[in-house]
Amino acid sequence: MHLDPFELHRPTTVDETVRLAGALAGRFDFLAGGTDLLPNYKMHLNLKPHLVALEDVDELRGFSADRLGAMARLADLERDPAFAATWPSVADAVGEVATPLVRASGTVGGNLLLETRCFFFNQSYFWRASLGFCLKADGDRCHVVPQKEVCYATHSGDLAPALMVVDAEVEVAGPAGRRRLPLADLYDAKGDGVRRLTLAPGELLVAVHLPRAARGRRGRYKKLRVRPAYDFPELGVAVAGRWTGDRVEELRIAVGGAEPRPRRFDTLTDALVGRTLDDARLRELAEAIGKSVRPVHNTFLLPDYRRRMVAVYVRRAVAEAREGTAG
Amino acid sequence: MASGPSRPLRLLGTKIPYVEGPLKVTGRAEYTDDIHRPGELVGRLLRSPWPHARLRSIDVAAARATPGVFAVLTGEKYPTPFGVLPITHDETALAVGKVRYIGDIVAAVAARDERTAEEALAKIRIDVEPLADYPDPQTGLSKVAEPIHARGLNGTNVQKEVVQHFGDVDAAFARAARTVRVRGSFVGVTHAFTEPLVTLAEATPDGRLTVWSATQVPHYLHRSLSEVLGIPMHRIRVIKPEVGGGFGGKSDPLPHEIVCAALAVETGRPVRMLLDREDVFFTNHGRHPTQNDVRIALDADGRILAYDIEAVIDGGAWSSFGTVTTYYNGVLAMGPYTVPNFRYRGRRVYTTKPPSGAMRAHGGTNIRYSVEVALDRLAEETGVDPFDLRARNALPPHSLTVNQFRITSTSFLKCLAVARERSGWDSKFRRLPFGRGVGLGCGFYISGSNSPIHFTPKMPQSTVHLKVDMDGGIAVHSMQADIGQGSNTLLAAIVAEVLGVDLERVHVQRVDSDVSPIDIGSYSSRVTFMMGNAAREAAEELRGKIVAGAAALLGVPAEGLEVGHERIHPVGRPDAGVPFLDALHRAMESTGALQATGAYRSPTLGGTFKGARAGTAPAYTFSAYVAEVDVDVETGEYRVEKIWAAFDCGRVLNRLAVEGQVEGSIHMGLGQLMGESMNYRASRLFNPSLLEYKVPAPQQMPEVEILLVGDDDPEGPFGAKEAGEGPLIATLPAVGNALYDAVGCRFLELPITPDRVLKGLDLRAKEGRRWKGA
Amino acid sequence: MSAEARVKFLLNGHPQEVPCEDARILLDLLRDDLHLTGTKRGCDLGTCGCCTVLVDGRPTLSCLTLARLTEGRSVTTIEGLTPPQGLSAVQRAFVDLGATQCGFCTPGFVVTATALLEENPRPTRAEIERAISGNLCRCTGYIKIVDAIAAASRSSG
Repeated sequence: MHLDPFELHRPTTVDETVRLAGALAGRFDFLAGGTDLLPNYKMHLNLKPHLVALEDVDELRGFSADRLGAMARLADLERDPAFAATWPSVADAVGEVATPLVRASGTVGGNLLLETRCFFFNQSYFWRASLGFCLKADGDRCHVVPQKEVCYATHSGDLAPALMVVDAEVEVAGPAGRRRLPLADLYDAKGDGVRRLTLAPGELLVAVHLPRAARGRRGRYKKLRVRPAYDFPELGVAVAGRWTGDRVEELRIAVGGAEPRPRRFDTLTDALVGRTLDDARLRELAEAIGKSVRPVHNTFLLPDYRRRMVAVYVRRAVAEAREGTAG
Repeated sequence: MASGPSRPLRLLGTKIPYVEGPLKVTGRAEYTDDIHRPGELVGRLLRSPWPHARLRSIDVAAARATPGVFAVLTGEKYPTPFGVLPITHDETALAVGKVRYIGDIVAAVAARDERTAEEALAKIRIDVEPLADYPDPQTGLSKVAEPIHARGLNGTNVQKEVVQHFGDVDAAFARAARTVRVRGSFVGVTHAFTEPLVTLAEATPDGRLTVWSATQVPHYLHRSLSEVLGIPMHRIRVIKPEVGGGFGGKSDPLPHEIVCAALAVETGRPVRMLLDREDVFFTNHGRHPTQNDVRIALDADGRILAYDIEAVIDGGAWSSFGTVTTYYNGVLAMGPYTVPNFRYRGRRVYTTKPPSGAMRAHGGTNIRYSVEVALDRLAEETGVDPFDLRARNALPPHSLTVNQFRITSTSFLKCLAVARERSGWDSKFRRLPFGRGVGLGCGFYISGSNSPIHFTPKMPQSTVHLKVDMDGGIAVHSMQADIGQGSNTLLAAIVAEVLGVDLERVHVQRVDSDVSPIDIGSYSSRVTFMMGNAAREAAEELRGKIVAGAAALLGVPAEGLEVGHERIHPVGRPDAGVPFLDALHRAMESTGALQATGAYRSPTLGGTFKGARAGTAPAYTFSAYVAEVDVDVETGEYRVEKIWAAFDCGRVLNRLAVEGQVEGSIHMGLGQLMGESMNYRASRLFNPSLLEYKVPAPQQMPEVEILLVGDDDPEGPFGAKEAGEGPLIATLPAVGNALYDAVGCRFLELPITPDRVLKGLDLRAKEGRRWKGA
Repeated sequence: MSAEARVKFLLNGHPQEVPCEDARILLDLLRDDLHLTGTKRGCDLGTCGCCTVLVDGRPTLSCLTLARLTEGRSVTTIEGLTPPQGLSAVQRAFVDLGATQCGFCTPGFVVTATALLEENPRPTRAEIERAISGNLCRCTGYIKIVDAIAAASRSSG
C-alpha cells in the first residue's frame, strides 16, 4: 500500500517546528513514531499535503524521572527499571501498548495524541465509501449513534489515564509561546471524537512533566483487551494513591479506552481522602465510576460488557495498587 | 499396497528439519511476490460497494484513457463460470450481470504503477439497480424476492440440501434410555495466512501463458485458467513458488488469479496482482458460519443408538467447496464412535457476504463441537465418566460405519487411555476448585478425500517422478503443494529412506506444470497418504534399477541384496557391498540417466446411494484431547493452561512436522474458540484486518503435551496417516467441556468471548444452580 | 522537488544512496526498488511484523517507516543478518527445531529474535513470548519458535 505524495519536513528545533506549523497552517500533520498516523494515511484518513517529522528535534527526545520528551520512545521507557519503580502506573501502561514492534517506534507524545478510534473510521477508503463517509473523515454523520451530530470515536491511548493519575502536566509550544497545562485538560471536556483536544492550531506537544509531589504514589494500570498483545484498549483503568495503613491519603483514578476522552474521577476519590477504603467502600466507588462510564458499540467487545468491566477493573486496580503489586 | 517396513527405518520417524528451512530463515525462499519479470504492470481490482445489485452499465472509457493504463477489464469479456467443484460452477472472474457481496470484483486495471491503476479505477462509473441483500441464511431458506443465484433451489437461496437417513432414527429415539439435544452456533472464521494472496502472470509471443501464484492446488488453478481464458492447458504453465500458509484459503481457484492472467493476455505484458490484506479478507473462503442442531440417543448401557443432525451453513456469495461442506457437516460426525442409526439434513444457503469455503478441518470442526458437548452432557446425566462413555462407543478397527465408511486402522482407544493417564484426569475432573476445570474432546478426520475432484479414481491422485544422473543427485518432481506443512521434506525423506541415501542427495523441484506430474494438491489432508505412497513406489522402482547395477558389479543375484546407508550390499553384510554411486553408474550404462515413476490411486470405497462418496477416505485419524482451563469468574476471561493432545496419525514419519502441525492446529482451534470472528453487521464485514481479526497471541498458547500413539495404518506410506487438519478438531470441544467443568455453564455459541462467559455465569446464578460449591 | 529526493543510509553495512520520494515507505524501497525480498509484506499496516528490520539495531516495522527518515542511519535486513556461509545461531535453531513452517513470517521473527538476544542473552520463556508478540505466525502456534530462540540463547556461549 503506497502513500499519496506529501512533502516531508524535518525541523531540528522547537522554534523552527512552530514556525513551520504556522506557515503550513491546517495543511500538515506532525509525524512522531508513525505507528498510528501512517496506517491511517494508508487508509486515506484525513490526509494532509505536508508532514512535519519531529524526530530531529532534540528537545523532544529523551526522558528522566521528571520529564518525558514528547518523542521519548515507549520501548526505551519500558527498559528503564528506575522509571518503573518511580512511576508504576505509567510503566504498566507503556508495557501494554500494542506490540513490542509498535513500542519500538511509538512515542509518548504519539500515544497521548493518538487519533481516536472507531469501527466505522479505521477502515479503508473503499470500505468507508461503500457505507457513506462519517463525521470523522470525509462525511457528515455518525454511524454509531445516527441521530447525533457528535462523534463517538474512542480515546484509545494507554498512557493518558496512567499519566493523569500522577497529575502529569504537558508542555506545549505554539505561536503564542509556551504553556503548561494539566494533562487532563489536554482532552476537551466539551469536545467529541473529532474535536478531542484543547490544543490551538499549530501547537506542538513538547514534553510531559511528572510532578515530584506525586512520586511515591503506588500505582497500577489495567487494560481490557481480547489479546495480551496487538489490541488497543477496550478499557484502560489507571490508579495511583497513597495510603497510611488502610487510610487513604491521596487517590486518583482515570479511565480510558471507553469514551472519546480519558477521564479522571476526582470528586469520587477526593471524598475518600482521610477515610478507610474497606472492601465495601471500594466496591461502592468502583460501581459509581462504572455507572458514569458510557462506552458505545464501536470496538470489538460489546459496550455492556466493557461498561460492566469498569467497576471490576477499578476495584482490582485499586486493590493491586494498594498492595503495591506491579505488572 | 504399501505395508509396514521390512527393515528398521533410518530417517523416517525421526525429527527431520525442513529441507528448505535454510532458505526460509534467511529470506531466500522465493514466494510469488519475490519474483520479478521485466516490464511488469500492476493489476488492481475494483470491488463492489453494494451487497447485492444488478449491474446496468459500467463506463470504463475515462479509466482506459488514463495515461499509463494498459488494460481495463469487466466481466463480459471472460464470462465463463468456474469453481473448484465441477458441479457448481457459479463464480466468474469478474461480476457478470450482478454483484453479490461487498467486495465482489467489478473491474480490473493493469497500469504502469499502483497510483495510476488506482487513479484509473476511481474513474470507472457503475450504474446499478440495488437489490435486497440477504445476510442471514435463515431468510434464504424460504422463497426470496431476488434469489442471489438462479440456481438457488425453488426460488430460495438454498445452494445445496443434503438429506440422509441410515437405520431408523425415530425408532431408536423411541426406545432410548436417555436423549440429549445441543444447538450450536458458530460465526465464520478465516485462514489468516501471513502471505497475502498474490499472482504474477505473463503471456509470451509463443502463445503461452505462465502463471505464478500463491496456491495450494496448482492443478485446479491450471484447469480453471484454461476453462475461463479459453486457452488449452498445454499452453498454460502454472508455477507454485513457496506459499506463505494456506489452511484451505488458497485451495479454490480464485477470481483474482484468473483476472491477473486475463490482464496479462490482454496487455502482452507481465502483470502482478498483489492483494491488500483487506482484499484477502473479502476473498475469504473461510469456515462457514454454522447453526447446527444435534440430538443423540443412548441406550441403557450407555451405547449410542442414534444421531439426528440438522445444519444450516452460510455459504456467502458463491459455491466454492460448499456442496462438500454440506455433506461433511453431517457425515464427519460418523466417527470416532459407532452410530447405528443416523439422520442428517444439511442446507447450505447463499448469502450476500464473502464466500465461505474450505478451512483446515473443513466441515468437521463445528459439528464435532456440538457432538462432543452433547456427549459430555450425556456422560454427566447418566453418571458415567466422559472417557468411559467414549471408550464404550469407539468404532472398532476394520469395520464399516452405517453409511459405509471403511474404517481400517484406529488407535482411538489408545488415544483415550493415554490422554486420561497423562492429564491426571481422574484426580481433576469435577475435583478442581470452582473456576478451574478439565474437559475431554475427541476428533475424527479424513486422511485424504477418496474422490479426486476433477477426474475419475482411475487416474492417479498423485504421481511422483524421479530422475537421477551421473552426479548422484535425485531430482523429484510432483505437483504436490508444500504450503509450509513439510510435504517437500517428507517427499525427499521417503525417497532417501527407500534408496538408503543421505537426504542431501534428494532435490525436490519447484512445482511447475510443465515438468511436475499431477498431484491434486494440498487439501483434504491427503498429501502424506497419497503423495507418500506415490513417492515410495517411485523410489522402489528406482531402487530396483540401482540394485540391479549393484548385482551386476558384484556378480550376484539382485534378490540377495539390500540397501544400506549409501551402499548396496548382500543381506546382512554391509562390508561386502558397493557404494551407491558405483551401483548407480553401472545401472546407467545402458540407458543414461535413470527415471522412475510412482502413482497413488485411491481404492473403491463407499456405498451407492446419492452422496455416498462424501467423506470416504482411505484412512481416518482419531484424537482425544484434554484441556485444562482457569476462568476468572468475575471478568469471564480465561486461560487454557494445558492441552494433552493424543493423536492417531498412524506411524509418525517426521516427528518435527507432526508436532508442528499439532501445535499449530491447537493455536488455530483456540483462535476460533476464543475470539476469531468474521464480524458482520448485515452484509458488511467489520473487521477486515489482522488487528481486528483476533488470531491468538503467543502468550495465549497453552502448554501442549503431544501424545502420538497411532499404530501403523495398513495402506498408509510406511503406516502413516494425515496430521495436517485432524489435530485441530478436538481442541474446541476439549476447551468447551473444560469450561463447563470449571464453571458449570455450557457455551454453545462460538467464539466464547469473556462477555459470553459472564452471561453464562449470570444465567446459572439466575437459575439458582450451584456448581462445585459456588 | 520530492521526485528528485534521495536517501543515503547504511544498508546491511554498505553505504547506499537511492532516489526516494518523501512518501516512500521503507518496505517498498527495500522490496520493490532494491529487490531485497527477504523482508516480507504481510499486512502492510503494522500488525503482523513480517516486515521487521533493524534500524540502528532496533527492530522496526518497515511498513510504517518513511524511507527518508532512515537518512544517515543503519538499516539491517534479514539478508544482513545472514553470514556469507552457513546460518546464524538463531537461524540454525529455527531450522533444527522446526520453528519455520510456511516461512513467510520467519525473517521477521529472526530479526526480532536476534535483537532480543543482543539485548537480553538469556531470556526466560515469558520474556521471549512477550518479545515476539508483535510478530504474527499462523502456522506454528509459537511453541517451536520460543524453543528455537531459547536454544539459540543457550548456544551463543
